Amino acid sequence: MTPRATGAPLLEARGLTKAYGAGTVLDGVSFAAAPNTVVGIVGENGAGKSTLFNILCGVTQPDAGEMSLGGRPFRPRNLAEANRAGVSRVFQEQALIPHVRVYENLLLGHEALFCHGPLVRQRAMLDVARRILSLARLEAIDPGAPTSALSFSKRQLVEIARACFTPREVLGVEQGVVLLDEPTASLLKEEERAFFDMIGRLRAHASVLFVSHRLTEVLQVSDRVLVLKDGCLVAELDPASTSQRELHSLMVGRERDADYYHERRQRDVRGGPVVLRARGRTRAGAFTDVSLEVRAGEVLGIGGLLESGKEALGRALAGLLPLTGGAIELAGAPLRAPTAARLVARGLGYVPAERLADGMIPDFPIAWNMSLASGADLMAGPLGTWNIAREQDLAARFIDLLRIRGGTPARSCRALSGGNQQKVVLGRWLCRDLRVLILDNPTRGVDAGAKEEIYGLLRDLTDRGVAVVLITDELLELIGLSDRIAILRRGRVAGVVDAAGRKPDEQAMIRLMLASESDAVWSVGTDRPSAAVPA
Amino acid sequence: MTLDLRSAQIPHATPREPPRLATLLPLISVVALVLVFAATSEAFLSWRNFSGLAAQASTLLLACLGATFVILMGGIDLSVGAVALLCGAITVMCLNGLDLGVAALVPAVALGGLLGALNGTVHAYGVIPSFVVTLGSLSVFGGLALQLLQGRAIRFDSPAFEDLAIGQLVPMVPNIFLFAVIAWAAMVFVNFRTRFGRYMFIIGGGEAVARTAGIPVRRFKIYAFAVSGAMAGLAGALAVARLGAAGPTLGSELLLNSLAAIVVGGTSLSGGIGGVHRTLIGVLIIALLDNGLNLLGVNQYTQMVVKGAVVVLAVLIGQDRSKFSVVK
Repeated sequence: MTPRATGAPLLEARGLTKAYGAGTVLDGVSFAAAPNTVVGIVGENGAGKSTLFNILCGVTQPDAGEMSLGGRPFRPRNLAEANRAGVSRVFQEQALIPHVRVYENLLLGHEALFCHGPLVRQRAMLDVARRILSLARLEAIDPGAPTSALSFSKRQLVEIARACFTPREVLGVEQGVVLLDEPTASLLKEEERAFFDMIGRLRAHASVLFVSHRLTEVLQVSDRVLVLKDGCLVAELDPASTSQRELHSLMVGRERDADYYHERRQRDVRGGPVVLRARGRTRAGAFTDVSLEVRAGEVLGIGGLLESGKEALGRALAGLLPLTGGAIELAGAPLRAPTAARLVARGLGYVPAERLADGMIPDFPIAWNMSLASGADLMAGPLGTWNIAREQDLAARFIDLLRIRGGTPARSCRALSGGNQQKVVLGRWLCRDLRVLILDNPTRGVDAGAKEEIYGLLRDLTDRGVAVVLITDELLELIGLSDRIAILRRGRVAGVVDAAGRKPDEQAMIRLMLASESDAVWSVGTDRPSAAVPA
Repeated sequence: MTLDLRSAQIPHATPREPPRLATLLPLISVVALVLVFAATSEAFLSWRNFSGLAAQASTLLLACLGATFVILMGGIDLSVGAVALLCGAITVMCLNGLDLGVAALVPAVALGGLLGALNGTVHAYGVIPSFVVTLGSLSVFGGLALQLLQGRAIRFDSPAFEDLAIGQLVPMVPNIFLFAVIAWAAMVFVNFRTRFGRYMFIIGGGEAVARTAGIPVRRFKIYAFAVSGAMAGLAGALAVARLGAAGPTLGSELLLNSLAAIVVGGTSLSGGIGGVHRTLIGVLIIALLDNGLNLLGVNQYTQMVVKGAVVVLAVLIGQDRSKFSVVK
């Protein structure tokens, strides 16, 4: 580790505050980043990390608070302005254009500097691109190659190199600030090393702010660590004198608490009837020969890495992906063509992971989103009419029952917080006569309080005898809620662990997920608090 | 005519109301057009002109009602005019060959529904953009119709059928206008009070959401195109009744005019926003423009320029552009 730099801060923020509706996502956050340092930022989903980054790079405007960069007031109104001032960012999603060449991506937006009249001086661009790549120690990448020819993680490295070195090489920014949002989430092991090397070199030219869920990594690479929780800065630590355990307890404020997951409400369901049974199901390219059964009142957890096939399995069980081989039975009756419509008619529900894209229509009223799956039965009046009176009534009842704060049947879902939005999606299924509920990361982007409420709702469901399939990236949730846990690895069931009595520990889960795969790809964007990268 | 339907009759109005001004704008435009033409043309404010205007607007409204569902659902139906033409041609054949009289409406509507269902099936099961499917079928249906007519206008002789359009059950009001208003009221009901109507909003607003919730999206897409076809068929048959003949130019203006009316009315091409109730106002704007410019003696080519500009302008003002970052 290079010696810690001191002196006047390069970037300083005082009292940054941002609220959306009633929810404060960032509450008076102040910090300073000295030049040539790496600041790690950790926190649970919804702790405010992304909002903080959005404000720093001009994507979002704060409600209150101010910032300064290099001693001058800094208030970027958009990303381009922040870039010009020397703040660049790597987003969680890739922002490279796949159809153009690597050097064009590296110098995107700076073409004007390479123009000679109407002509672009391609050679000059290639030279600069080559310099950027060599600064990033990515000499192996040909700047003239089409971007789409690179692997996903190579593209990630190119993007990081662009954020880190392009401002310096092209704009002559002496001291920049680079914001990295979960940059290693999709990198392979050996590329991670290249990434850390890159950060080491970058430190000589810039300050780096670095969000990651991998605490080991944060402790390894940072000069200081900021801990965010529920929008507040709860601690600022020296990585030399702290531990993962301390970070974790600061982030969540609790160890895995049996009460949090309502573990006492978990009951013995081994004698119950099997509600959902899938045998030998295969989906080419996603999973192979998966068999599972879920009993009434049971929670079957499904875990695995990002590319283990667990998301596809969830979609397939919900009838959204065609399958080959095997058979599926719902409540003892085999289904020959299990389309989503038929499965829903027979009491299956599915809560997808992407709430805003697949789960709900944010601009539509809460009532519309809640009644969405019930058009063929609950809401059906005579002659194909829609029973609007019942819809309003039902929505009002479930808004009350699920304690959806700030909700009225006519209000659009966009105005709600993530947790309350998710409750609307759950309400869509809870209002029905449900037999099986499949959930994919139901608490992603949901605050801690709403999480606990959602866990309580799931226990209510199992009390009613509903079989629950819970697909999740959050290990604590997986362990805390499940009666049994199936771990998928490369599309096959790697093992089924009993979690009804004594709960298995996280390390055991991780071992099952990884097994002998040294180059495994970690799942992205999840709370994996103490799921450390195994040494 | 009272046109303020936005809140009074529809308590559960469209979910994604564009900004206030944009919602009111189509209505303001209607009033403005009436005032301008009343001031500049003496013939404009006469019963004679109004009943002509009503008859003209009625064909357009009938053809637009079904197509609005398709656009609300996030698709587009370019074949409306061609379906109207083909159904109009079949109507004349039925009148002349089978002497069906008033009952000739039945095969026209049925054929329209069938042609629409064909569009919808190819679109939904072939997974081909509706733009491409209906662009193709526009040519197919139009070609078939012209072949039937052999490029000529064919007259029919059935006073009863003629009466469907130009008769006056209510004095001074042509029957085709009654048809259109009743059909409009029925479709507004369908849009806001039935499963089909609700699904049009949902599929347009979030097709992926509809799928994960088990809504049979493909089936309802086919229904939407079938309704669009059936209404175009009805429009074609009644246009034939009004004109006393089916000719090659029947429906030729419907392609541009129907899209213009729907979009100007405030149903967004991106889907999920708008509704059938708005289409009435859009139709009035287009019909008023046509009628008024005609009365003022503006030549036909200039009218084309004006109408095209109005459509683009309406979208420009009405659309909430902050929601779109990239438009292709």
